[in-house]
Amino acid sequence: MNRIKVNRDLCMACLNCVLGCMIEHNEKGKGIYDLDLEDISNEGRNHIGLDKNKCPTPIICRHCEEPECMYTCMSGAMTKDRDTGMVAYDEKKCSSCFMCVMACPYGVLKADAVDRKVVLKCNMCNGREIPRCVENCPTGCLELGEEE
Amino acid sequence: MCRKLPNRMLGVRGGGVNMRYLILGASAAGINCAKTIRELDSHGEITMVSEDKYIYSRCMLHHIIGEMRTIEEMSFAEDKFLENYKVNWIRDTRVEKLKSHDKKVILDNGESIGYDKLLIATGASSFIPPVKNLREGKGVYGLRNIEDALRIREDAKKVSSIVVLGAGLVGIDGIVGLLEQDANLFLVEMFHRILPMQLDEVSALRYESLFEREGVTIYTGVRAEEVILSKDNRVTGIKLGNGKVIDCGMIVVATGVRPNVDFIEDNTIRVNKGIVINSRSETNISDVYAAGDVTGESPIWPLAVKQGITAAYNMVGIKKELEDSFSLRNSMNFLGLVTVSLGLIEAPDESYSISVETYGDNYKKIIHRDGIIYGAIIQGDISYCGVLTYLIKNKINISNIDKDIFDIDYSDFFSIKENGEYEYVV
Ligand SMILES: Cc1cc2nc3c(=O)[nH]c(=O)nc-3n(C[C@H](O)[C@H](O)[C@H](O)COP(=O)(O)OP(=O)(O)OC[C@H]3O[C@@H](n4cnc5c(N)ncnc54)[C@H](O)[C@@H]3O)c2cc1C
Repeated sequence: MNRIKVNRDLCMACLNCVLGCMIEHNEKGKGIYDLDLEDISNEGRNHIGLDKNKCPTPIICRHCEEPECMYTCMSGAMTKDRDTGMVAYDEKKCSSCFMCVMACPYGVLKADAVDRKVVLKCNMCNGREIPRCVENCPTGCLELGEEE
Repeated sequence: MCRKLPNRMLGVRGGGVNMRYLILGASAAGINCAKTIRELDSHGEITMVSEDKYIYSRCMLHHIIGEMRTIEEMSFAEDKFLENYKVNWIRDTRVEKLKSHDKKVILDNGESIGYDKLLIATGASSFIPPVKNLREGKGVYGLRNIEDALRIREDAKKVSSIVVLGAGLVGIDGIVGLLEQDANLFLVEMFHRILPMQLDEVSALRYESLFEREGVTIYTGVRAEEVILSKDNRVTGIKLGNGKVIDCGMIVVATGVRPNVDFIEDNTIRVNKGIVINSRSETNISDVYAAGDVTGESPIWPLAVKQGITAAYNMVGIKKELEDSFSLRNSMNFLGLVTVSLGLIEAPDESYSISVETYGDNYKKIIHRDGIIYGAIIQGDISYCGVLTYLIKNKINISNIDKDIFDIDYSDFFSIKENGEYEYVV
């Protein structure tokens, strides 16, 4: 499967990956000028954490082999495709219980900020050849890698 | 990806005959077990028997009461589950007896089914407490099966007032569904606040006022004493311990559950609070496994799923232990207010420290001692709180992380595995 690889040492917290993610999932268009940063409905599905030494850390869905979000999902909204490896989220099935947010050990997931109805979850840009976060990363911190 | 093992190692009985797996129950534990068995053993015969006529998530029954979802939309299994995973499902059928010595079960239609490996995942049923007239009354419902929800929904249209007994997660789900109907709603809870197992005073009171704003009348710190019945045994009211009488045409009982074990013969499978299992989901009888609410442990969905998956591995002959049975975790989303409750909700004594943060509609509380977090309530913005779940369940020491406790996140434990997944370094 493809997995977005993270090399934390190269991260400089430029947030281009977060912006890329926001752009790609913006319903109003996929260009940088379509993005209204004051509109809170534009949210990234990834984020940068800062550890105790202020060292930036990209926190991006791993599409885990043993996905806690899926084990805990009671509506069937989270599924793992055993061929592509992707853990997909179907917002139409989701019952907004947010057990997945509680279960993801890496703190990747959150509810949407506007309605708190859906979960913000990486979908690998829906088959896009290079995920937008990777494409936008200027340092090489994020790379698309092949596993297995 | 599932581990790929050569098929000759799996699911094959002596003489090349396929292994016969039998699963009792078609819910969280049963479905996940069936799915996992098929991923590991492409040849075995999988049969699943259930009283349930549909595959659906019990956690969403309020969507039925409130007419927000159809029965089809209640399914948590993927489309074409039975075909894709080659599962033979016998539905709407009760298991009457388990003959573990003969390795077979007897069904309510008189038929019997033999097995090589058996999973008992029959879950639990609503417990109706011994309140006077409660068990006799017509118009008294538990909330466990989709049939309960459908009946509650139909009756709710005919009565003007409804009492929900018990303000735990199931009772509150009942209220949430019933709010979509027109009847007056009353919620009665023995403890002095709602959601007493999950929430502290502050976080519970916020829900109480939200429900009251929706017109729900809440009585806490009071027991139901007696149900008042008409001549033909229909519910007409309920008398509380404080003498108050509420007129009502229906009572929804949400005061806990009891494991479904009545088909188990004496002196066979060990039953305590429920069926006793080890970390491999094995019972005391060989080739018989159990998973989910039937174990009487913690009746939560994720544990049922994980025990079901663990059972599947062991049933096909791959040793697997369930390490994570942490179950003091609940998330809830009622009337637009989201809360996650983890571990302890109150500090047991003064040796614990309590850190609290409030802003906007957010209330966050973390209980800790000597660098170990024992509990947390996160209400409002729950973003990324899965890290807390991990820290609490694994008792990770955070004393060397010089940060506001509310700002600790995964970056403080970051490490990458060879396959690109994250893991914790502590
Ligand atoms: C209203 C409600 C809301 C809930 N909300 C949450 C929540 O938000 N989060 C959470 O973690 N948990 C929640 N739960 C609990 C969760 O639903 C259970 O933990 C979970 O369903 C357990 O799954 P299970 O497979 O062990 O058993 P069950 O779901 O109880 O399923 C048992 C299966 O066995 C079958 N069966 C039983 N007896 C027999 C028999 N004799 N013969 C044949 N078949 C039989 C049944 O038909 C059914 O298919 C909720 C429960 C309810 C009722």
